[in-house]
Amino acid sequence: MPKCTIDGKEVEFTPGENLIKVAKRAGVEIPVFCYHPGLTVVAQCRMCYVEVEKMPKLQTACSTNAAEGMVVKTQSDPVVKGRAGTMEFLLLNHPLDCPICDKSGECDLQDNSYGFGSAEMRHSEERRTYVDVDMGPVIEKNMNRCIHCTRCIRFGDEIAGIHEMVAIQRGNNIDITTIDGDPLKTEYAGNYADICPTGSLTLRDFRFRKRAWMLKKTPTICEGCSKGCNMEIHHEGNVAYRCIPRENMEVNKYWMCDEGRFNYHYTQNETRIIAPRSGDTTIAWDQAIQILKDKIDGKKPTFLVGSDLTQEELTTIQEYVSAYHSGSSVYHFGTEGVFTTADDAPADKILKMKSKTSNLNGAEKLGIKPISEMKSSSEVVLVIRGGRADLAPALSHVKGKKLVGIGVFLEKEISSFSLVLPGLAFTEKDGTIVNHQGKEQKIKRALLPKNTQKALSEVLMLTANKKAKAGAL
Amino acid sequence: MSQQTLFVQHFWKDSNRTLAYYLEQMQGYQSAKKALTSMTPDQVIEEVKKANLRGRGGAGFPMGMKWSFIPKASEKPKYLVCNADESEPGTCKDRQIMRYIPHVLIEGLVIGSFAIGCKHAYIYIRGEYVNEAKLLNEAIDEAYEKGYLGKNIFGSGFDLDITVHRGAGAYICGEETGLLNSLEGKRGEPRVKPPFPAVSGAFSCPTAVNNVESIANVPYVIRSGGEEFAKLGKIDKSGGTRLISLSGHVKKPGVYEIQAGSMTLRQIIDELGGGIVGDKKLKAVIPGGSSSPILNADEIDVVYDVEPLMKVGTMMGSAAIMVIHEDTDLVKLLLRITKFYAHESCGQCTPCREGCHWMESILHKILHGEARPTDLELLVDVAQNIGGKTLCALGDAAAGPVISFVKKFRPEFESYIKGQKKYA
Amino acid sequence: MGKHLSEKFYTTMKKLEPRYPNKKALILPALHQAQEEYGWLPKEVLEEVGVYIGVHAAQIREVASFYTMYNLKPVGKNHLKICTNVACCLRGADDLMNFAEKKLGIKCGETTADGLFSLSEEECLGACTTAPAMMANDDYIEGLDVNKLNQYIEKMKVVK
Repeated sequence: MPKCTIDGKEVEFTPGENLIKVAKRAGVEIPVFCYHPGLTVVAQCRMCYVEVEKMPKLQTACSTNAAEGMVVKTQSDPVVKGRAGTMEFLLLNHPLDCPICDKSGECDLQDNSYGFGSAEMRHSEERRTYVDVDMGPVIEKNMNRCIHCTRCIRFGDEIAGIHEMVAIQRGNNIDITTIDGDPLKTEYAGNYADICPTGSLTLRDFRFRKRAWMLKKTPTICEGCSKGCNMEIHHEGNVAYRCIPRENMEVNKYWMCDEGRFNYHYTQNETRIIAPRSGDTTIAWDQAIQILKDKIDGKKPTFLVGSDLTQEELTTIQEYVSAYHSGSSVYHFGTEGVFTTADDAPADKILKMKSKTSNLNGAEKLGIKPISEMKSSSEVVLVIRGGRADLAPALSHVKGKKLVGIGVFLEKEISSFSLVLPGLAFTEKDGTIVNHQGKEQKIKRALLPKNTQKALSEVLMLTANKKAKAGAL
Repeated sequence: MSQQTLFVQHFWKDSNRTLAYYLEQMQGYQSAKKALTSMTPDQVIEEVKKANLRGRGGAGFPMGMKWSFIPKASEKPKYLVCNADESEPGTCKDRQIMRYIPHVLIEGLVIGSFAIGCKHAYIYIRGEYVNEAKLLNEAIDEAYEKGYLGKNIFGSGFDLDITVHRGAGAYICGEETGLLNSLEGKRGEPRVKPPFPAVSGAFSCPTAVNNVESIANVPYVIRSGGEEFAKLGKIDKSGGTRLISLSGHVKKPGVYEIQAGSMTLRQIIDELGGGIVGDKKLKAVIPGGSSSPILNADEIDVVYDVEPLMKVGTMMGSAAIMVIHEDTDLVKLLLRITKFYAHESCGQCTPCREGCHWMESILHKILHGEARPTDLELLVDVAQNIGGKTLCALGDAAAGPVISFVKKFRPEFESYIKGQKKYA
Repeated sequence: MGKHLSEKFYTTMKKLEPRYPNKKALILPALHQAQEEYGWLPKEVLEEVGVYIGVHAAQIREVASFYTMYNLKPVGKNHLKICTNVACCLRGADDLMNFAEKKLGIKCGETTADGLFSLSEEECLGACTTAPAMMANDDYIEGLDVNKLNQYIEKMKVVK
C-alpha cells in the first residue's frame, strides 16, 4: 500500500483518500468546518490548511488526496498562522451568543477557536446582521451565527434531495435561507442541526432545554422503522432530551429521519400507562397478575405480539406459550399492509422503510406468523406491544374479544382493554433487533423504568407462578 | 518604432464589420480552410505552441499547452469556451474585437474547436455587452449562412455550432471555473481544482477556456505559421502582438496594439498616450488591470510584457494600463478598488468573503480620519491573510493592490491617520 | 399559478434548448428573456421560470440573486448605471454621480417618485478608454461629462 508522511509519521493510505482521513489514522485531527465525509468537498472554509512539501502555498487537506511519498506538516508556523487567520475572519461577525446558544459545549466554532484561534479581537467595525426566516417546526434559524460553511445547502441538495436551503446574494451579504419564509419540507430536517458547526441551525425541540455538557449519551438503535438507524439517546436525570444519528456506513451512514429522531417523546408522554390498570382503576401488581391468571390459566388465549419487541422478548413469549399455553396461536403485528418482509420496501429514496416497526425481520426469523394469516381468535387475546406497533388495525381483527394489554400504551389507546400491565419502552431495555438487511443490532437501556413497570419476562414468570430470576429484565 | 499590427487597423469603423470586408480585406476564413482541409488537429496545436501565443485574459498561460491538455480520446464531448467576460477594471480590448471584427473570433473558434475536437463552442460574454452580443450573433448568422459554421465546413467533415451565452453582471465569472458554473446555469462560483477544466469542465466534460484576443490570434498563427508569429514578439516566449487598454490621466486614452515586448511602460505612456493630461507630473501607474500591484513614477522603465513585469513584482494581467497623475488621492482610489473586490467576491471562501469587506471598512475609516495608528499594520496583515489563502485568484487580486499601495505610498495613508489630511 | 410570461418567452427558449446539453443551462438566458419582457423579476416570474426549467423555485432565486443585472426589485423606466471604478474615477465619475443625485433628487440606489429614473453605481463597464461612462438601460453612453449627462436626463424626461 502507498505511504505518505504526516508530521514525521509514516501512514499507509488507499488511493483517493484525502489528507483529513489519512491524518486521522496517524492520530492527527485536522480542524474542519465545511468538510463533512458524507457531503461533497468544497474547500471553502479554509480551516483545514496543511503544509505539503514542494507546494508553495498552503493546501486544504479536504481537497488534497494523499500521494506516494507526500510529506505533510500540520503544525508548522505557516499552518498555525493560516488557521489563526481563518478563525479571525470567521469571528469578525459572529455574535458572542455562547451564554444563550444551545450549541455551546458541542460547537465546532468554539472548539476550533479555542484550539487554533486568537484570544484577541482586532475587529472594531459594526457586525453584519440578518433578519431570520421561520423555517418551520423542526429547525430554528439564527443567521447571525452562520459561518457560511454551506454544509446545510449541500445536505439539502445531495442527501435530502430537496434544494430548498439556498444561498441568496453574494459576497459578504450571503444569506442562507429557505425562500420567502417557506418552511422546510424535507422529512430529514433534523440533520441540519447535527451538521451545522455553529448554533445557526438548531433543533426547536431541544431549544433551551439542557446544556450539552450535562447530557449522558447512550448508543442504541432507532425503533422508527425496519431500517434500524444507529442513534444515540441523550439524557440526564433519567429524562431523554434528544436523539441524534450515529455513524454506521452499512445502515444509515450519518443520517436519520425526523420521524425516528422525535419518536422517543411518546415514551415520556405523561399519559403513558406506567402502573397496572383494570378498566379505569389503577391496581397493584399482585392483584393484576391474579386477574390475568384467572383469565388465561389452563386456556389457549391468542397472542398478538408487536414486531416492535426485541428478539429476547419474542423468544420469551414463544417459550412461555409452548410451556404453559401449548396450542395457543401467536401472530405478530406492526404496520398495516406491511405484514411480511416481502411487503417491506423503501418508503423514500433516502432511509425510511415501509415497516414502521424495527423488528419485523426478527419476528419473521423466529417463525412467528403475521396477523394477516389469522383466521379467528380465542375469546381472550393478549396484546403484547413495545410501543410503536400500530394498534388500531390489529385490534380491528379482534373486535368484541376480551383484551389484555402488556407493554407500552398511552391512555387514549386502552379503552378496549379490560386489563393493562405496563412494560418497558425501547429506551428502557437492552435487546436485539434485526433490521431489513438482516443485520442484528443492539438496543441499549438509557433510562431506568419506574418501579411500577415490569419487564415482560418478569410479567410472564409471575403469571406462570414462577419466581422471577434475580435481576432478570 | 513602427509597429506591425494585426487588429487595430480594422477597428473604429462600423463598415468593417461585414463578412464581405472580412473576406476581402482580412483573408477571411482562409486559415480555417487551411487548417480543416490540409492539417491535422495535432499540427494545429503544434503551430500554436511554436507561436508562443500566451493567454491574453490575464494569466498569460501558453495556449498551445492548454489545448494539449485536452485528452485526444474522450467518451464525453469536448468543449471550447471563449471567455468574453472582460470585467477587469481598465480593460476594454476584447470589446473592440467583438464589435468591429467579430469574424476573426469566429474563425479562431473554428480552428480551435477543430484542434481539440469540439463540436459546440460557447462564447460567454458579459451581460453588460448587450450591443456586442447582438453584433456577435449577427456575425454568427452570417457565418452559418455561408457555411463557415454548421455541418461539414469546407467539405472537411468537421461540424461546429457556436452559441453566445450572456452573463449577468459578475466579475467572478471571468474566472474560468466560475464561468463554467455560470454557463451551466448555476451561481458563478469558482470550483475546487483539481479536477481541472481539461479533465472536467463544462457539463463535466473536457473543456478549454480561452480569452477573446487569444482566440482571435489563431487565424494569424495558422496563416503565417507559428514561427513567424512568434517572431512578431520582440521578447522571448511572447509571440505576436498585444492589445493594450490605456486609460486614466493620459492625453490620448485608447486601445493600442504593440508587438509583444517592444516598448517600455514609459514609452507607451509618452508615445502612444501622448503624455499626462494637463502636463502634470506622473504619480503612479497600475500596469495590468486593478488586480496588479501599483508602480510608482520611478518604476516605469520596465519592458511591458509578462515576464519583465513579474520580475519587478507586478503583472501584465489583462494589459490594462491606468495612468495616475500627482493630484490623485491614492487612499481614496485604493478604497474604491477594495470596494470593487468586496462587491464582486462570490462569498464562498472565508478569507475573501470576510476579509475583503474588512479591508474596505478599515480603508473607509482611514479615509475619514477615524482610524487608529495600528490600523495601517492591521490592513496589511489582513491583506496578507487573504493573499495566497483563497479558493481562487480574486483574493490575491484584492490583497495585491492593498499591499503595494501601502508599501509604495505609505506617507499618504499616514497623513490621513495622523489627521494631517482630511477627506473632502 | 397563472402564466406571467408570454408565448414569445417560450418560443425563444424552445429555440435555444437544442444548443445546450441540459435545461438547467438555460437558466441565465431564461432570466434575461423574462426580465426583458417584464422589466424586472418578481417572485411569480421566478417561479414560472422554475417550472419551465424543472427545478425548485428556490434554485432560480438562488441563481438570480447572485448576478447584479437581474432586478429582483422594480426599477425606473430609465435605469442610469454610472461607472465609478478606477478609470472612470480618474476621469471624474464621482462628480458625475454627485450631479446626477442632485439633478434627480435621489440618492444612488434609489428611484424617482414618478418612476422615471433609477440611479445606480456600476463596476467597470469596459469603456475605460472613453471614460467616464454609464449604461442607460441597455445602452452605453461614453465620454460623459456633466453637460452630456444633463442633456440626456432632460431628453429622457420628455420621451414617452
